[in-house]
Amino acid sequence: MLTAVGLGLLLTIVLGMTGIYNGIIVDATALPDSLRADLWIVQRDTRGPFAELSRLPADLEERARAVPGVASARSYVAHTIQRDVPGGPQIRFTALGLSWPDDHGADLPLVEGRPLSQAHFEFIVDRSLGLALGTRIPLGRDIYTVVGITEGITASGGDPVAFFTRSDAQKIQFDKSNEAIRLDREARTARFRRSQLSRNPDLARMSTAPANQIPALGPAPVSAVMLNLAPGYQAEEVRGRLSQWKDVTVYTQADQHQLILGGIVEKTKRQIGLFRALLVVISTILMSLIIYTMTLDKIHSIALLKLLGARRTVILGMILQEALLLGGIAYTLAIVLGNTIFELFPRRVAVENSDRLLLLLVVFVISIVASIFGMKKALAADPNEVLAG
Amino acid sequence: MSDTAPAVEARLLSRHYGEGNTYVKALDKASFEIQAGEVVALLGPSGSGKSTLLTILGLINQPNEGSLRIGGEDVIRDGQLVGNTNLVRRRQLGFVFQRSNLIPFLNAQDNIRLVLDLDDVPGRVARRRARDILEELGVADRATHFPVQLSGGQQQRVAIARALVHEPALLLADEPTASLDKERGRQVMELFRTAARERNAAVLVVTHDHRSLDLVDRTFEIEDGVLSH
Repeated sequence: MLTAVGLGLLLTIVLGMTGIYNGIIVDATALPDSLRADLWIVQRDTRGPFAELSRLPADLEERARAVPGVASARSYVAHTIQRDVPGGPQIRFTALGLSWPDDHGADLPLVEGRPLSQAHFEFIVDRSLGLALGTRIPLGRDIYTVVGITEGITASGGDPVAFFTRSDAQKIQFDKSNEAIRLDREARTARFRRSQLSRNPDLARMSTAPANQIPALGPAPVSAVMLNLAPGYQAEEVRGRLSQWKDVTVYTQADQHQLILGGIVEKTKRQIGLFRALLVVISTILMSLIIYTMTLDKIHSIALLKLLGARRTVILGMILQEALLLGGIAYTLAIVLGNTIFELFPRRVAVENSDRLLLLLVVFVISIVASIFGMKKALAADPNEVLAG
Repeated sequence: MSDTAPAVEARLLSRHYGEGNTYVKALDKASFEIQAGEVVALLGPSGSGKSTLLTILGLINQPNEGSLRIGGEDVIRDGQLVGNTNLVRRRQLGFVFQRSNLIPFLNAQDNIRLVLDLDDVPGRVARRRARDILEELGVADRATHFPVQLSGGQQQRVAIARALVHEPALLLADEPTASLDKERGRQVMELFRTAARERNAAVLVVTHDHRSLDLVDRTFEIEDGVLSH
């Protein structure tokens, strides 16, 4: 029984690795899927915004809206935040900016609460972050309140996603301390004084103004612009038009999936795949050794059975049954244990029924392979051993 | 004893090992018959060829020459095993050893049933026959006990029950009383005698124990592979 428990734990790891792999795929694609964009405009020749960094001017959203076939355009702004909540644990999430006022987050899969109802200081967050509705947390210079809860929306790294208005998301992203603002302003003034422009008194006054009041400094860039098509338009048609712009690259939702899975997830997939294969090989070797040892323990009884005239198939069947029983117990244990403990893992472990079925098949094959060594030993058992005492 | 064909007929059985300087003749042209219902003791010193003869009769080893019929069926012809050896072992042969050799993880009744199960006897019939023979050998109250829970004498009775339950033509017993005291040894030999008579089985008992020879019908002696009777 202890042997079956040990093997069951090993199979639990195999199942867990499968679930972790599935979880990585689900996590990686959950965010783009939840945003439901038909096309993604990103910085020219980059594979952004998920597989690679992409920066676009904020006004590109307006340009895109003017293209025939585009029903709506939303900027995509996202960055990761890790902060200590006063009196609570450290939290880490991806802050994503919604194009307020067009996008309130009404399309998000909310399980509690409501979409954003004001331009500032509210956010919607995934349940996996552990913040309850109404929780207020300080981010930058402001305090934000949780007004909605989603489920299953994570960034490619597995961090829960929090939805703010775009301006709030950028304010949090570019928040600087007073000292940093002062030093930045002094550096800018010093650069200005060294230039010929310092003779112009208007410009001299403006150089000491806040950054957002200086016309030469544009608004913060965005990572991508998401488009939704008007009814009757094909993605390829609109993409063709946008592709004539020399400063952007356009991807469909399917392209984004491919970029994410082929880029971010590919190496992880191979790594976990190899690790899984290694575990299956280890399980096979271990089970073979167990069956072989169990056969050795019973070799006298097997010799006796041969002496009593047991058919070969009876003896081989016994060894196979033993291996299958061992595999069956270990498999059941792995399923039960997996169902119990995988929920407690910090990242998503997504075990599908097809994975369970595949594992059952693997266990069946392992059991048969493992029993071969025992069968070989059993067939070599000499009935004379019984007479020899 | 029966007037019909002998239960065992051996003709010129020979077995040798090695060549040249290592050549050993373990059994030299042994010919004999044992009738159904007859108990025969096989006597001889260590290394005389007793085990060789026993393993040939048990179809575990093959002779170089000779032939053997068990229960009227050719099982060895011109030194070659013929027919389905496993089937002959399952139906025509029974074995009792010095140690009981019961399967430790089966209880007494299941140890006996095992022989019938191997021959695909239906479960209900097998259960009844196992119970009957345990009753007959006086260990019915130990049917559900595992070997480790039985005394040496009880274990040997269960082993004899296992050897007889399928009503074999020949029962081979290898030193069955060696580990028992005189009284229990005699009880075992009496069991063989009763079984031979009531079940019409031929019994060949390999023994060093001369104390119970009065309970056998005949004795064979073997020395340097030569059998005399």
